[in-house]
Order: sequence, then structure tokens, then C-alpha cells
Amino acid sequence: MTNRTALGGRQAALVLGRRALVAGGFLSALSALAAPSTARAAMTKEQMVELLKAVDDRQNSSGDWHSHFYMEQKEKDKVDVVYEGEVYRRSEDQKFVIVFDKPKASQGQGYLRIDKNLWFYDPAVGKWERRTERERIGGTNSRRSDFDESRLHIEYDPEDNGEQKLGAYTAEAMTLKGKPGLDLAFPVVKLWVDKDTKNILKRQEFALSGRLLRTSYYPKWKKAYSESKKGDAWFPEEIRFFDEVEKANSTLILIKEVDFRPLPGNLFTKAWLESKSR
Amino acid sequence: MANLSTNFRIAFRSLIQHRRRAMFLGGAIGAVTALLVLLNGLSTGVHEAMEHTATTLSSGHVNVGGFFKISGGQSAPVVTNYEPVLKVVKEKVPELAFTVQRGRGWAKLVSDSGSMQAGINGVDIRNEPAFKDVLRIVHGNIDDLAQPGTILVFEDQLKKLDVKIGDAITISAQTTRGVANTIDCRVVAIAKDVGLMSKWNVYVPIETLRALYQLGPNTTGAIHIHLKPNAQPHATQIAARLRSDLEKAGYKMMDADPRAFWMKFETVNREPWTGQKLDVTTWEDELSFLTWTLQLLVVLKTLLLVILIAIVITGIMNTMWIAIRERTREIGTLRAIGMQRRGILSMFLYESLLLGLGSAVAGAVVGSVVAAGLNALQISVPGTMQFFLMSDHLHLSVHGGAVVGAVVMLTILTGLAALYPSFRAARLRPIEAMSHFG
Repeated sequence: MTNRTALGGRQAALVLGRRALVAGGFLSALSALAAPSTARAAMTKEQMVELLKAVDDRQNSSGDWHSHFYMEQKEKDKVDVVYEGEVYRRSEDQKFVIVFDKPKASQGQGYLRIDKNLWFYDPAVGKWERRTERERIGGTNSRRSDFDESRLHIEYDPEDNGEQKLGAYTAEAMTLKGKPGLDLAFPVVKLWVDKDTKNILKRQEFALSGRLLRTSYYPKWKKAYSESKKGDAWFPEEIRFFDEVEKANSTLILIKEVDFRPLPGNLFTKAWLESKSR
Repeated sequence: MANLSTNFRIAFRSLIQHRRRAMFLGGAIGAVTALLVLLNGLSTGVHEAMEHTATTLSSGHVNVGGFFKISGGQSAPVVTNYEPVLKVVKEKVPELAFTVQRGRGWAKLVSDSGSMQAGINGVDIRNEPAFKDVLRIVHGNIDDLAQPGTILVFEDQLKKLDVKIGDAITISAQTTRGVANTIDCRVVAIAKDVGLMSKWNVYVPIETLRALYQLGPNTTGAIHIHLKPNAQPHATQIAARLRSDLEKAGYKMMDADPRAFWMKFETVNREPWTGQKLDVTTWEDELSFLTWTLQLLVVLKTLLLVILIAIVITGIMNTMWIAIRERTREIGTLRAIGMQRRGILSMFLYESLLLGLGSAVAGAVVGSVVAAGLNALQISVPGTMQFFLMSDHLHLSVHGGAVVGAVVMLTILTGLAALYPSFRAARLRPIEAMSHFG
């Protein structure tokens, strides 16, 4: 069980800054050395789906999830903003809540996903707004699905791009195309999965036009024991998003204090999220 | 009859004899006629382009729209339970060619690169063949608009949205119950601009618009009534009649207000009623914010023509005065050998009418040929002009009736200009006229 003591804004900035230095080497290696390497027989569709399923299963906790997160948003000609908040989710019915604690301007704002609908609540106006999966969480480069359980094998059809070297890592590269009728943040995703660990190393997210929208790096993975899963659940402790449309913009997410204990049933309700700002 | 023929012959020979003067004056009359034909062609062309574009993209010739109010201050531009309304329309409007139903809305569009506010039009592309004829698609396929969650945008909007075919646009709007809702749409077609219409209009499948506004399948934005060609000029009368028929059928009607639906929100929200009220408008009402350009064009055209005609009339009168002065002895001789005053009057009148008719016909032919030539050249108009013309190239619409009208008008004006000098010529006494030196 991780320590639940919340860090202050200054401490959060220090954590984010230190992480940035550590991750620097990883990112430059990943971004510079994405090249085809060892030749191997092309994977069949079934094998690709199996691989995706393994990626998903590795991350899923099959129960409730609560974590604290820090999010640093860098934008061109703007002051960097550090967000802090909580993520709650339930695997069983795919319910999901994000609520912001900091900065003060965003305190009490949150997202609630119930019945496959994503709702945004702003206590300043006291209104709920229905949003789609393309919604930039808090106006950053992150999407709701970045905080959620991985459902790649359910949401996407994979195509094999062969084995590729990403720095020191050997990765299974694939292109994922969104299945029709699903509300997805990105319809096309290129994915690099570490061949040894089955952790995601890198993602490139595209529009259907082929335009690259975002590149994501997953430099640090961590595991925690989940009672409901009766095993370890892996999660990316750090994710870096680089906006490919507004090149100067980027977002760093740190996921902390992961907790798999059951959550109260009334947490995934509008009333609960509204109560957080009272 | 013989006198008439003689006078006519004299008038004709006189014109031949004074051919330099006749050609100078005739040239001026012809130029004004040609200009009249061209200006008429331009204003008719703009009017037709505006009507054609508007009645395909955003309006029928007559529309049945309306507002639904949940509370006193909150209205939505929808027609609930539209099918019985459509039934009344079909029964009471025999001039009807076909109808289409359109969703209406106003929303925020957000792409990965930018955002803008736009009018959202819900279309059923499978039942709108004319729609495809009006829009020129530069990228993508307009038929893909049949798939839900798709969107058609205009080239001009790319400046703000910077999207390509396949890119996603998020549309955000308030539902009729005041809840903010959002949907994602995939860009399937990019159309060439059609002037002002393309500044703020986008098109989505009507099902998508219903999903955005959380409307039921029996709710629409407006019923667009397209009239048979011969009934189109009578849209205002047909709209007034339909308004009365719908009222008799038991529907609550809004007061007649010749403005676009989106200009009525403020008025409607101020009114205390709730529920559904229907509104009947014509395409000119829905484009009232644009038709001022047409009116301005007509005013400018009229002003220009009045000035030109005044110059031509003055020219004709002066020339006639000179001709009469030069031909005073001729008038005296004709009077001395028995020609009556009426004969002199008609001789000069015939002369000017002949000149007017010949010149006007020649001018009309030149004007029509120039108009046809300009149309064939497909001359591009600057962006600011496209804004009002709703077309990217100049189109002059010259109709036979307008050409004949221009010829008749110029001929009559020429005759009227010559009336007073001819009358004065007829009043000359033979003895004075014969002894005139000058």
C-alpha cells in the first residue's frame, strides 16, 4: 500500500522536474532509434490480438482503482501549469472519475464516465456538460483513456509492423485501427510494445486523415499487487505526451499512490463529484 | 395610311442624309441600352444565384419552421411532431414541387488546431439531389454525409479549423433542455466556398444533429418547401396562405416576421408563451440579412440609368433642336406644298423613334453578346464580391423579356424626348420657315 500523503504544489513541481531529467535519456533513445531490426515472420491477426490482450491484461486490475496524479502542462508562450488530482475507476462497469484538487482555479472540476458517457463538471458554473473521448482533460494533451484501464484488444484492430529497435529495447510495432461505432480518443494508433515485458514503450496517435496528433512515451512502469486480480497489475508511473499539432506543447503525467481497495458505490455519481467542491 | 408611309419614308431618308448626327446619337442610345441590358443581367444573375444557392443550402422557397419553448426564456428552433405539419403542407400547397426537412442549430466546432462558431445544418443527403448540384466538392465525397458522425465544411473554414478529410471535429452545443452536449464528427467533404453562406454553415447528417441536440426522430428544424418554377415568384403569397391554413388546422402560429430564424431568438425568448409555435417564412425572409446587397445593387443600377437616360434625353432634345433649326426651310417648303402640322410632327417623331428603335435593338444585341461572352469567360470575382454574390464567378442572367423591355423603354424615351421639339417644328408658319436663314 502506498503512502497517501498529498504533495504540495512546490513539491509536485520538484518531483516533475526530477522525473524530467531521468526520463530525458529514455525519450531521446526511443525517439532517435526507432528502426526495423531483426527479421521475424509476420504475426497473424490472432497473434496480434493475443499480444494486445496480454498488454491489456498486464495492466488491468479487475476491480476498483484509486490513484493520485500530477500533471504538468507546458504550452508555448504560457506559464507551465501543474495539476493535481485523483482518479477513481471500476473495471466491472467501466465507471470512471477524475477530480482536480489543484490548481485552485480547477479545484472541484472533474470528469465522470457512466453508461459510456463522459461528463464534465465545473463547480464555478454548477453545470454538467457531456463530452466525448477526444476531450483534452483539463485542457492538457491528455485524454480520459490515458488514465483508464487498457482496452486495446477490444477497441482496436491490429496490424503487424514487425519487430523494431527502440534504443536498447526490442519492440513489437503495430498499427491499431479503431473498431467502428466506438467513441475513441484517436482512431489510429501506432504502438511499440516491449517484446520482453509487454509494456508499452511508445505510442503515436493519428487522425483518420493520417495526420500525427500526439506522440506518447511511457518511460517508467511500476507494478502493485491487486487483491481483486489476485496478482500484480502494472501501470505507467510516468507518461509524456507531445502535441504534434502545436509542437511546443507537452504534458507530463505522474501516477502515484495506486490503491486497489474497493471504492464506495456512490462515488461514481454526479452527486458525489458535486459534493467534492462544496 | 399613305401619308403615314410617306412621313415614315421621309423620316428614314432624313436619318440617312444626316447619318453622322444619327450615328452619334444612335451610338449613345445603343450604349445606354447595352448598359441597361448588362446591369439588368447582373442584378438578375445575383438574384438568381442568391435564390438558387439559398433555396438549396439553407432554405426552401417557403419554410415551415418555428420554436419550441420549455420555459419562458428558453427556446429551440425546432418543429416537434413535424409529420402532421408536413401533411397539411402537402394538402394545402398545390404549387409544391418537393419538400426536404432540415435540422437547425448553432454550435462550437473544435478541431485539433482551432475552433469556431458555426450554424449546424442537418441534412438527409440521400433525399437532397439538388444539394449535390449546388456544392462543388474539392476534397472527399459528399455521399459519405449519409453516414452518421460525419461533417461537410467549406474551404474558408479551413483557415480556422485546419482539417483534412478524415480529421475529427468536436461539435459542442446546448440541447433544447439547456444541457451542454458534444459529439465528434469526421470530415468527409470539403466544399468550395459559396459566399457568405460558407462563412458560418456546416452540414452534418440530420441523425447526428438530432443526437447533438437530443431530439426525437419526429422532430426537425424546418420543412423546406420547394415550389414549381412558375410558382416561385409568388412565394410571399403562398407563405401567407399557408400561414393561414396552418392556423386553421389548429397550429399556434408566430406573428409574421420577415427575418431569418436565428435573428428571432431574442424576440421569442422575451415572449411569455411555452410549447410549440410554427413560423412560415420565404427564402427572402431567411436571407433578409443578405438581400440588402441586392437592393443596393438595384438602387445603384437605377441611379446610374437615370443619370445616363437624362444625358441621352438632353442629347436627343438638343440634337432635335439643331436638326429643326437646320431644316426650318425644309419644314416651310413641306408645309407650303400641303403637308399638315400633324405630318411635320409625326415626321420628326418617326425620325427619333426610328433612331431610338434601331439604336436600342443594336445596343441590346451588343449587351446580350457581351453578357454571353462574360459568362463564357467564367470570370472569377474577388473574395469580397463572392461574399455577396454567393458565387465564385461572375454570372449575368439576360432574359428575353428584360431585353425587349430595355428596347421598348429606350425607344419610348427617345420618342418622348423628341416630342416637344417636333411639336415646335410643327407649329412653324410656312412663310416664316421658308424665309428662315441659318
